[in-house]
Amino acid sequence: MNSELAARAPTNWVSTEMTSRIAKRYAAERRFRLIGLFAVSLSAAFLAFLLYSMLAKGFAGLSLSFLTNSDATEASEVGIWGAFKGSLLTMIVTLGLAFPIGVLSAVYLEEYAPRNRWTDMIEVSINNLAAVPSIIFGLLGLAVFLNFMNLPRSAPLVGGMTLALMTMPVIVISGRNAIKSVPPSIRDAALGVGASRVQVVFHHVLPLALPGILTGTIIGMARALGETAPLLMIGMRAFIATPPTGITAPSSVLPVQIFLWSDEVDRAFIEKTSAAIIVLLVFLLAMNGLAIYLRNRFEQHW
Amino acid sequence: MLLIFGLGLIAWMAGRGRARTLALAASVRPHSLPTQHGWYVALWTIAPALLFLAVWSQVSNGLIDASVMADPAAQSLSTDLMNRDSILGEARSLADGSLEAAFNPAAEALVKPYATAIRFYGSIGAVAAMLLAFAGAAYSWTRIRPKFRARTRVERVVMGALLGASMIAILTTFGIVASLLYESGRFFSMISPGEFLFGLKWSPQAELVAGQENGFGAIPLFWGTIFIGAIIAMIVAIPLGLMSAIYLTQYAAATTRKWMKPTLEMLAGVPTVVYGYFAALTVAPMVRDFAVILGMENPSSESALAAGLVMGIMIIPFVSSMADDSIAAVPQAMRDGSLAMGATKSETIRRVLIPAALPGIVGGVLLAVSRAIGETMIVVMAAGLAANMTANPFASVTTVTTQIVQLLTGDQEFDSAKTLAAFALGLVLFIVTLLLNIVALRVVKKYREAYE
Repeated sequence: MNSELAARAPTNWVSTEMTSRIAKRYAAERRFRLIGLFAVSLSAAFLAFLLYSMLAKGFAGLSLSFLTNSDATEASEVGIWGAFKGSLLTMIVTLGLAFPIGVLSAVYLEEYAPRNRWTDMIEVSINNLAAVPSIIFGLLGLAVFLNFMNLPRSAPLVGGMTLALMTMPVIVISGRNAIKSVPPSIRDAALGVGASRVQVVFHHVLPLALPGILTGTIIGMARALGETAPLLMIGMRAFIATPPTGITAPSSVLPVQIFLWSDEVDRAFIEKTSAAIIVLLVFLLAMNGLAIYLRNRFEQHW
Repeated sequence: MLLIFGLGLIAWMAGRGRARTLALAASVRPHSLPTQHGWYVALWTIAPALLFLAVWSQVSNGLIDASVMADPAAQSLSTDLMNRDSILGEARSLADGSLEAAFNPAAEALVKPYATAIRFYGSIGAVAAMLLAFAGAAYSWTRIRPKFRARTRVERVVMGALLGASMIAILTTFGIVASLLYESGRFFSMISPGEFLFGLKWSPQAELVAGQENGFGAIPLFWGTIFIGAIIAMIVAIPLGLMSAIYLTQYAAATTRKWMKPTLEMLAGVPTVVYGYFAALTVAPMVRDFAVILGMENPSSESALAAGLVMGIMIIPFVSSMADDSIAAVPQAMRDGSLAMGATKSETIRRVLIPAALPGIVGGVLLAVSRAIGETMIVVMAAGLAANMTANPFASVTTVTTQIVQLLTGDQEFDSAKTLAAFALGLVLFIVTLLLNIVALRVVKKYREAYE
């Protein structure tokens, strides 16, 4: 063995064969790197193109009357105030249901739940719900809330309840992660000075986990705000020319309004649809920005 | 209801105050803090009253209807049940003010009895709820003593609430499965599952003809869904997502990564209705022009390619973050080993990192497919309604989700086979996405364990 190794001539790094091989490998390296850069820029270019085409078509449609009017048959008179108010009411219902339920379940699963089959079932169903297509929640809303419980059609109440079921798993999952990241020493210290298990959680763990929970909640709410399909299922696609007066009044929401306008044959609606999309995107961007800000501002490393 | 919560607040303060004074007077150390006594009294005040109101609102509906039916004005109503119910419903919404003008003259006469009945039973309910609230408050008030273990009791209620909140998740899952199964069961009593799952023709009719195919064969829909969501979208998303992940994690400078990662994630945050509009308005005409250049005659304006392309863009960040995670999970030693042997960075990535991370990447792709086939708005707006079985990307195909929306947004009554078919499609979609998710998560988990 040793003699064979010793007999091998040392590699001649400067021979033409060797340099061309090295050059080839470096060229492959550069190619690969360029392909990666190309993929990233192409993806970013898609986003830029999407935003640009919406802005180019819709910017002219933005005006004060567009923001304060409601749906109309004439393209020049339409506005988004009605749909916006509907979205707002729907989001209030969603937040009011999904936030407390989500946070309480997260607390239960992370802090108190005994390891048994019930707990496993709860965990499995929460993880599955997070992956169920949104249109299935619409079918659930239609079958249970409308046909079984006879709640009013196309009302923010039903829309909010449907979206709450969809948002809750997101809040539970992010809430559990936030609670998990609170170090056990905090709990031990509180227990050590005589706090009960409920006091430990509500006085110490939850306040520390709150920024993380809020970040997850805002991201979930942003998703719910842009959701269209489940709301179509529960009948939120009617022509509604007045802003809703309450959570049981028929109403439209921003994404559905966009969908309805996109179906109009009148070319003038293109401008209005794009303008509505700009408004929706501004809101989503603001919500996501707030979530990122919260995460950066309050994130603690223990 | 606000009144009850107001009472609850008063009860809380009163209970706290009494606990404090009692503790001072007796000069012993009480078991629980004054606030906990306050919560105890408040719970006793609010909970029974609210429970009663919830039950009462159900019971009183029946009572109101009964008393209105006893009214002379209702005697003249037709005995046809459907008709009577609609008139009653209208009169009722007139009475509580949610409707402003009557369509039916018969309803007008009933408004007055309705209004009186609602007021009568409403006030009974309110008085009874108040009485209950006071009774609960009085009972709990007398039990406050320094030695009384209010904390234990209050915490038991809190634990109950926590458990109840977690049950909602199980209830939702159960509700989805039950409603899908029930409505699909009704559908399959009209159409045989064999015809539905293996039939080749999709053109649902409201009127069923016994003994022949009714156009409920869902194979063209399944094909369209797979064609758009699992083939075209993935051809776009996998290379772009994978290469983006590799570039951003292995090559890009820290500042580039800091800016590009959130930018790519924005692609996932754009609402699907916006993508759908973009696909229908901008991408679809471009695809059609491209088809004309290729020499096709009369290409359809709605094409599988436009929908699949845009859906692929939407999925990019999803694939990219999954690939990112699984590449990061490959042990550093494997990387170092390859680099130490003289391999270049790209050789290390192609020959070592990607093969090692492959199970994780495959799992991520499966999750992305399940996302794509459940996606609704893009295909509704850009893919068309014609149920074609074609592999031509420029033709119009339709998907499961498109047809669910199509079947349920018409004006038919709820019991027809057409509307029920939507639930059967929903059931198939639910099962398939669930299976994909379970398999994907299992693959990813196995792979993680292999390196730990």
